[in-house]
Amino acid sequence: MVSTELPPLARAESVLELADFDEVVRLYRPRIFRFLMASLSDRDAAESLTQDCFLKAYNARHQFRGESSLSTWLTRIALNLVRDHLRSRRMRFWQRTRDTALDIVDVGEWIPDGASSPEQVCLQQERVREIWKSVEQFSRQQRTVFLLRFVEEMELAEIAETTGMNTSTVKSHLYRALRIVRDRASGKSEGEQ
Amino acid sequence: MNTHPNQSREALPPDEVMLEPAGQFAADLRNLRSAVQRAADPQTAQPVPFGWLNAAKRRHRTAQRRGVLAWSLVTVCAALLCIGTLPFLHHPAPPVTAHQVVPVQPVVIDDTALLEQVDTAVSESVPTSLAPLATLDDLSSTTSTNTESSLNAPEKKNVAQ
Repeated sequence: MVSTELPPLARAESVLELADFDEVVRLYRPRIFRFLMASLSDRDAAESLTQDCFLKAYNARHQFRGESSLSTWLTRIALNLVRDHLRSRRMRFWQRTRDTALDIVDVGEWIPDGASSPEQVCLQQERVREIWKSVEQFSRQQRTVFLLRFVEEMELAEIAETTGMNTSTVKSHLYRALRIVRDRASGKSEGEQ
Repeated sequence: MNTHPNQSREALPPDEVMLEPAGQFAADLRNLRSAVQRAADPQTAQPVPFGWLNAAKRRHRTAQRRGVLAWSLVTVCAALLCIGTLPFLHHPAPPVTAHQVVPVQPVVIDDTALLEQVDTAVSESVPTSLAPLATLDDLSSTTSTNTESSLNAPEKKNVAQ
């Protein structure tokens, strides 16, 4: 996987870096696409929104002052696009927009085959599917915070900066999201017993 | 990052410990992360094709055009609505005027009729009912029916009017 880590940018350098936009796209496209795909569960929509995200970033590159990291800025643009997309999808409810959706079975099947036995692989897949089902039950904000924390591995302060929430609000959303996942997992294990 | 060693977990404040899964749950979350990454990789592993943003630019232009069209449509509809309501705003509804005028005419007619009535009443001679009692007694002793009819005549006239 392509590393998306860039050294912290000075204020003057930030615009200079954006001038080489191809490099920015190459570095950050995987991360933005991954986040959008996980947020929308839709590959095509994620690809379109990734393009939109970089187009918006390119058009607004002079507004970027380097006050936040490039990654945070791009993720914030992606978040706004997700919000707009979900709103328009709600408005166009008669259209089937999730034909190519990445369903839970897909996610489970993408688990790296590092387990020692096929039974363990099946068990892992089942657990991941259960977590993914829980993620689909989250509210939009819970889902965003959860994905940024556990898929993108962002710190709480960074999530707060990206989403524009308080750190305490981020914690609250994350706590509720984790409780939903745990409740579902415990309910499942009780059901199995 | 998802799983801290036990020592670092103990160093965290109590509320943050709740947010840092450990054990099997942390492993499951790591697997979820790997799965999402692997699911996204086939799409992003390929090099960015030339003109990759052209589709987004096209969509942007189409959206702009659609927006302009929608606003023009809204403007035209609003203008039509304004033009449609303009006559109602400048000219008050005719039935209301008619309703206000109609009661005025009868009042005028009533006044003239009333004046005529007053004139006739003033010009009339003193009714027999106001005559002295002696005369009334005479009248009652002779032809009561004729007198009654002559006494009731002005009253009937008034009732009729």
